[in-house]
Amino acid sequence: MIPTQWFLILSAILFTIGVCGVLTRRNGITIFMSIELMVNAVNLTFLAYARQFHQLHGLIFVFFVMAIAAAEAAVGLAIFISLFHHRETIDVDEANLMRW
Amino acid sequence: MIEYAVFFFFASIAVIFAFVVILHRNPVVSALSLVASFFALAVMYVLLEAPFLAALQVIVYAGAIMVLFLFVIMLLNLQRQREEPTRPIQQFLGYLGSAAFGIGLVYYIAKYAAMALPVGPFVADARTVGVALFESYIFPFEMVSILLLAAIVGALLLSARGVQWP
Repeated sequence: MIPTQWFLILSAILFTIGVCGVLTRRNGITIFMSIELMVNAVNLTFLAYARQFHQLHGLIFVFFVMAIAAAEAAVGLAIFISLFHHRETIDVDEANLMRW
Repeated sequence: MIEYAVFFFFASIAVIFAFVVILHRNPVVSALSLVASFFALAVMYVLLEAPFLAALQVIVYAGAIMVLFLFVIMLLNLQRQREEPTRPIQQFLGYLGSAAFGIGLVYYIAKYAAMALPVGPFVADARTVGVALFESYIFPFEMVSILLLAAIVGALLLSARGVQWP
């Protein structure tokens, strides 16, 4: 069996890549994909701890996270479509109406 | 030993394709790399003895969510969009901050999160997950279905063109 720690390290690396994508990219859809990457890294952590402690709750939580990620992707992409219809771009720097 | 080989092979695939996701300028390539990364993560779920969630990962994430992303990218014709580097200092700070965050996280996990391996098999197949889902988690399950309905209505309302808002 592979130690739980290795899965945690892999999850940390993937989460960091996601954070880096959110902080450095300005294309809205790429930012969204980075968020999905972070969600998956957290799912991996949940499953690693579920196996470590022989608990089923982690698995159930991953199930709910997947359902909520699907809902989030649908609504977020609809927001980007709406933004594109209004501004002809999905660069998040251009959506600055509420910025002070 | 073959387990370790599989782990390292698919872990490196997941990390490499995750880097392609955030570094490539073409969103279509990013989306397809994310699909590859999710497949590698599904292999990780199999290694963690959760085959049901591995199947769910491939079907729901790689099959449904990423196809939605690809549809939107192609619908909006974003393949040609370029990101001009207008804020180099902020971008550099972003790389620096996330690198510091990642190094700290990996360091502390490597140092303090060493755990003894659990004894005994733990197989979470579809039956076990299903029984738990419909017995002790029935209320959150129904709430998620309501949330998905709200998301469908919201997505339709937001993406429709020329809707008169009430």
